[in-house]
Order: sequence, then structure tokens, then C-alpha cells
Amino acid sequence: MTLFEIESLTYRFNRITALDGLSMTIPAGTRIGLLGANGSGKSTLLRILDGLYFAESGVVRFLGDALTEARFGDNEFAYGFRRRVGMLFQNPDAQLFNATVFDEVAFGPLQLRWSAADVRARVMDTLERLRLAHLEHRVPQRLSGGEKKRVALASVLVMDPEVLLLDEPTDALDPRSQSQLIDLLMGWADGSKSVITATHHLGILGDIADRCFVLDRGRLVADRTPADILQDEDLLDRTNLIHVHRHRHDEGHVHSHPHLHGL
Amino acid sequence: MSGNVRPRGGFAERTVNGLLEAMERAMLAETNAAGTGWLQRLDPRVKLAGLLSLVTAVAMSHRAEVIAALFGVGIAIAIASRLPLSTLLSGVSLATVAFSSALALPAIFLTPGRTVGTVPVVGWTITAQGLTTAGYLVLRVAATTTLGFLLVFSTRWAHVLKALRAFRVPVVFVVILGMTYRYILLLLEAARDMFDARRSRTVGPLAGRERRRLVTQGAGVLLAKSLHLSGEVFLAMQARGFRGEVYLLDDFVMARTDWIALASCAGVALAAVWAGR
Amino acid sequence: MHVPDGYLSPATCAALYAGAAPFWFVALRRLERTLHTRLVPRVSLFAAFSFVVMMFNIPLPGGTTGHAVGMALAAIVLGPAGAILAISTALIIQAFFFGDGGITAIGANCFNMAIVGSLVAFVVYRVLAGRAPLDSPRRVVAAGLAGYVAINAAALVTAIEFGLQPLLFLDASGAPLYCPYPLSVAVPAMMIGHLTIAGIAELVLTGGVVAFLQRTDPALLAATAGRGVMAIAGNSAAASGGLRPLWITLGVLLVLTPLGLLAGGAAWGEWQASDFSDAASRQAIAAASLGQPPPATPPRGLERFSSTWTAPLPDYAPPFLRSAPVGYALSAMFGAGLVILAITGIAALLRVRQRAGTADDTVSL
Repeated sequence: MTLFEIESLTYRFNRITALDGLSMTIPAGTRIGLLGANGSGKSTLLRILDGLYFAESGVVRFLGDALTEARFGDNEFAYGFRRRVGMLFQNPDAQLFNATVFDEVAFGPLQLRWSAADVRARVMDTLERLRLAHLEHRVPQRLSGGEKKRVALASVLVMDPEVLLLDEPTDALDPRSQSQLIDLLMGWADGSKSVITATHHLGILGDIADRCFVLDRGRLVADRTPADILQDEDLLDRTNLIHVHRHRHDEGHVHSHPHLHGL
Repeated sequence: MSGNVRPRGGFAERTVNGLLEAMERAMLAETNAAGTGWLQRLDPRVKLAGLLSLVTAVAMSHRAEVIAALFGVGIAIAIASRLPLSTLLSGVSLATVAFSSALALPAIFLTPGRTVGTVPVVGWTITAQGLTTAGYLVLRVAATTTLGFLLVFSTRWAHVLKALRAFRVPVVFVVILGMTYRYILLLLEAARDMFDARRSRTVGPLAGRERRRLVTQGAGVLLAKSLHLSGEVFLAMQARGFRGEVYLLDDFVMARTDWIALASCAGVALAAVWAGR
Repeated sequence: MHVPDGYLSPATCAALYAGAAPFWFVALRRLERTLHTRLVPRVSLFAAFSFVVMMFNIPLPGGTTGHAVGMALAAIVLGPAGAILAISTALIIQAFFFGDGGITAIGANCFNMAIVGSLVAFVVYRVLAGRAPLDSPRRVVAAGLAGYVAINAAALVTAIEFGLQPLLFLDASGAPLYCPYPLSVAVPAMMIGHLTIAGIAELVLTGGVVAFLQRTDPALLAATAGRGVMAIAGNSAAASGGLRPLWITLGVLLVLTPLGLLAGGAAWGEWQASDFSDAASRQAIAAASLGQPPPATPPRGLERFSSTWTAPLPDYAPPFLRSAPVGYALSAMFGAGLVILAITGIAALLRVRQRAGTADDTVSL
């Protein structure tokens, strides 16, 4: 089954082109990696997939429904979509806008107008599953980076979405928090869920994706398995995902070795 | 770091210290709110209504003794709730002495009325009415500050806000207040980091013009940051189903002790207003 | 500037809550219409910014520092409706959380700073900035002056609220129950501090931040610039030519206002000699005349309420007005009106000189 279908999608910010005639098909129930350097358009693509930005030209379909501003004017569709598709933002400070952890996690369910008893039960259940119950009354400001990410994740997972969009989930986390977060995510994605992760972090690619799209300046340049991509130094170098140091040795020949981010 | 030696109490230091103080204060309030004293156990709506009724009684009272008695009630509640009395009193005395006494002092001489004494050398006359009015000011400030502190130090800010809904404050305004509080803490931290970073890069005193530039640039960066963040927050709200109307959870339940506390506060307030006619 | 509890009578506080309520209501309605679902995050973040910026120590010429409220900045970036809500929110949190400003006085503080301040700032900014391009230095001056005039307008309103208290609220012995200072003391005491330190702080902050935004993010200034304003100066000569008169106005304003107060002090003897039958004004005279010989070193508390500053305004009151409070209020309004009239006149002159035939600039609130 096709989850997202993207046809010649273009999106601009003022005069900067973020996405340039992008076409791709994302099947349901898979784990997808969206790989690209800063400015490659992967964050913009995630926001379009989440119905936050809308295609300027081209079409984006979710399970056959074109995602347009007008479509989101329909309450039933909008609530259904928000319930089924969740997104983890890169900056947890933008995502944690409530005064306490409990309120944060309860925000989504409340907007979807679940009953008060349901909301309370779901929130506490989610907090416990993510080992956050002890932080229930805390102010987001007082949390560590890893805790903030987990609370942000809880605020999405509480609605039990079928599709999870992750924007640089391991950004600014220490290695321990990174592996904790990935374990959590992959434990949750048990095969029936779809996870689309945008990242420039090659080290986590094997853990979070079965299939990988590489974006460069708003265009799709590769669609392969993570293992395949990681071995293609030339591709990674061209798309600024690694930088190759060249040292000129006495013998006069060029010696190169790639630096893989986060490996 | 860089060996810059700048006079203590420079404008940047003072700003950073002020920002740190504000953050510490927020932290202290959150910690105390988790305590197990008398006030902490009450429903936030009761605390808000009860303490506001006492504040109103202070404002309406026309007798200094009554205002002093209400001040005493505030202190008694603080003791019963095991709030840090020293923090409370230092805060209250700061507000009262440093700010209001300075404002109240001239009233002793400036208010016309029955002369009770003269200041030697300068020859200013002290009037009975002047002393009374200065007393009103200082007592009122001390009493209301104490009652205000009681609310903040015994209640999580998020709960103070939710309690406002019991007073028919529109939901959208309650949500704005909550979000503002959350981002005040974030921006305080950002501002502190910004000033610290600038300080570590400046050596020697700056000229007045440059200092002004430093502050206004800091404010400009912070402004741009806040507005950018507001766009991101908006998207994050939408992503979780926000459609313009906000729904909140009313998670307060009134217990018997709450009703008793509410009745006592209202009773004390009414008695004070009556006694202070 | 933040009115604490105990300075205003409950009746005054209630009146000012009632006065603020329709502005809050209209501002909320307007923002719901223009910002739609963006209202909540936009106002919240800006309120948080205002709160933090109120804590900044702003270095002033002469080595002192002052605090600004940021109402003009709010009005320029968000428009008057957004500014009213954002500054009010910041003030409410200050009152509850930091005890800065009284809880009973929230209505008063919001009315004075968030409502009067934002509206005055917006009008002054729009009138002075005219159709200048977004990156024009004229906008910086207009912004600075908007901040200066706005904080002083707010201070004047506050001073009048203070000054009315001893006329209206006395206990049985005749001692004032709330603020004890009559208009003759409250107005100059408030205005001296604001015409100098607080006003300049507001001017420095507003002008400085607008100049910074012009270089980094001019789009943030576009919302309140009015229709048909160019992003970049088409004719920089005209822009800088239009700047000089504005600086002169600022200078004249700054010099003349304290001078006006001094002139008022000089006219004090005449005022005392004239016969007022009204009890309230007798009281005002008595209060003022206490500082007979100005002491060489006044006590600290007296610095702000120096009794040598006596009643500049009743001097301007028409003789047929025998009641001092009415006279003060009228002359205060008259003075504020004069300032606004002067600014409007100068701006109109500038417009005529610069771009003949485009003087259809509308100021919308």
C-alpha cells in the first residue's frame, strides 16, 4: 500500500527553492531514512508530509487524499490526519509549549476532544511507557536535552499515530540518550507503523531505516538501502554528508579518507 | 576565561544577575509548591479566590490596625504552610522598605494637617495625618506583597493559571499566560547566555555608545528569536490537532477542607472590610 | 512605573479594570481576525520577550542605566492590538509572579502602559515614519520618539491617577488613605523621572532595536509600516533630508519640557498669592509650600518627590476654572495635545515638502 505519493513537488521560501520537482513514493509500514545535508530540503519535505506547508506546484497524496489547504479546512479530515500522523520537531523547545510535562502530553488528545478520563489515562500510560512519570509536574525548562526529546516524543505517541515523522531526532543528544531514543522508537515501530526519519546523521541510519532516500538541493539523488548508501563515498561526498580530507604526502600522490559524521 | 576585569555592578552584570534571580525565583516557587503545608494541599481555585479576597480587604480597609491584622494573617498562613519565612520576609521587606518607604517618607512632611513635630535644621513640619498616610502605604504594601507571595510560593504557576478559569477568564487568555510563562524561562536563559557570551569576548570597559549597541542588539536578537520560535510553535501546535480553539483539562476537585478554607478566607476578608470601614 | 498595591483606591482600580476591559476585548477580537490560529503563539512569545526585555539594564548617556517597558517596540512589530495583549500579559505575570506592580493595580498598570502606551506609541510612530522606506533612518528616529512619547504619556496618566487619590479618598482624620501626593507633587515627580531616565531608556531601546531589525530582518517591520511602503530607500537623499527636522524636534522637546517645569516653578509665587477658595487647591498649595528653603542635601526619598518642583501646570489653567483638579487634568491634556499637534504638524510639513500629493496616509488603529 502506498502511504505518501509525491509528484513533481516544488516549494519555495521567498526566492530560495527548498524542493525542486521532487517525485517519490513511500510505501506504508516501512522505515524510511531521508538523508541530506543542511538545506537539502528534508525538513521542508517532512512539514509538507505533515500537512503544515502545502505544495506550490505538484501533488502530495496521503493514502490517496491530496494534501491541500482546502482539504484541511474539513474538520473531519484534519482531525483524522492529525491523529494518524505525528511529527517530532527538531527543536524540542518549539514542541514543548505547555507549562508542565503533563499538560504537554495531554495537549494533542485534548485538541482531538477525547474525554477527560481517556486523556488522563492515556497520558499517564504514555508517560510510564517512556519512563517519564516522575516528571509529570515539571516545567519543560528544567529538563535535560534527552528528557525534552522524550517528552516531545510522548506528546506525539500519546495519540498512537500510524505514521511518525522524525526531524533530526538525535540532534544535540549525547550518545547514551541517542541510543535510548532509538531503542524507544524502534520498540514502538513494530512493523505495522511507518517511520520517516530526516537526518544527516549517518551513524543512526542502519538502526532507523530499511530504505533510504538521499536529497540534495531539493532533488532526489538516490533511493537505496542504507548499507548501499553508506558504502557510496562518492555520493556522500557529493551531497555534503561527509567531507573528505585530502592530505598531500611527500610521495606526491593524493591520499583521501572520509569522515563519517557520528561514526 | 578571558581575563577581563570589569567593575562589579556593570549594566551587563546587573542584567545577568537580574535574569538569574528571576529564574531562581521560578525554581524556588516550583519546589515549595510541591511541599505538604496547609496552603499547598488546597485547591488552587480556593487559594486564588481566598488570597484575592484578602488582598481586596487590605485595599478597602480604612484603618491601619485592620491592615496590620491582615498582614498578621498572611504571616500566620505562611507559618502554617511551612513556607520559607526568611525568603518571604526578605522579599516583603525589600518591596516595602526599599520601594515604598522611599515613596511614603515625603508624605510625612508633605501632607497638611495637625503638626506633631519639626525636623531640626531644615525646619520641615511632621503632621499626624502625614504619619498616618505613610503608615497606610507601608502597611498595605507589606500586607499585599505577603499575600501575593503566599499564592506564588504555594502553587504551581500552571495551576494558578488554570484556576483563573474559575473566574471566567477566557481560555485563550489562560493558554497565552501559560505559554508566556514557559517561554519566559527559555528567553531568560537565552538572554543570560547571550550576555555571558558577549562579556567573555569583551576586554576592558566599553564606550557608552557601544554598550547601548550591545544591549539593543541583544534585545533585537532576542526579538527575532522569539518571533521565529512563535512560527515554529504554531506549526507544532497545528501538528497536534490545534485548530484555533484550545481545549484544557479541568483537573481540580473541591474537597471539604477546600470549602472550609474558602469560607474562612471570605469570612476574614468580610470582617476586615467591616471593621475597617 | 509599576503601580503597587495600596497606592490607588479600590474604586480607582475597579474603574481602570473597567476601562481596560473593552480594549482587551477589541484587541482579542481584532487579533483573532487578523492572526487566526497564529494568535496564541505570537502573543505569548512576544509577551515573554517583553517580560525579559523589561529586565534589561539599558546604559544611558551620562553613565546611568534605566529600564524600558518595550511598548513602542511591541506596537511597531505587532501593531497596537498585539501590543496591548502582549504587554498586558507580561504585566500580569510580573504582578502575580514577581510582585512587581500590585495585584489590585493590574487593571491600572495595563491601562497605563499596555493600552495608553501602545496606542500613543503606534500613532506617533505612524505619523512620524510616514511613508519612509523600511530601512530609512527616519523610521529609527520615529521609533525612538514613539517610545519616548509613549512612556511619558503612560507616566502622565499614572501621575494623574495618583494625584486624584488625596483629593478623593481621606480617612476620618483627613489623612489620605492611598497615594498621599496631590497632582502638584505627583505630576512633576513622575514626569521628571520619565522625561529624563525612563523616557531615554525607552527611546534607546526602541530606536536601537528598530535599527538592528532594519539590518537583519526588515520584514518584521513591515506589518505596521502601512500600505505602499517600499522595503528599500528609493531616494536616500530625501530620507536623510527628512531626518534633520525630526532630530531638531526631539532636541526641542527634550529641552523644553524640563524648562516648562522650571518656568512653572518660577510662577509659583504668583500662584500662591492668588486666592483660591477651593479646599483641595488650598491643600495643594499647603503641600507645595512646605519646602520653603530648598535643602542643600535632600534625604534620599525626597529626591524623587522634591518639593521644590511645584505645580507647573495650574499656571496654564484658564482663570475661570477654580477647581485645581479639573485645571490640572485639563492642562495636562492640553499639554499632551500640544505635543501631538506639534508632531502631526511637523510630519505634515515634511510630507508636503518631500512627496507632494501623497499625503493620504491613513493611520488605522
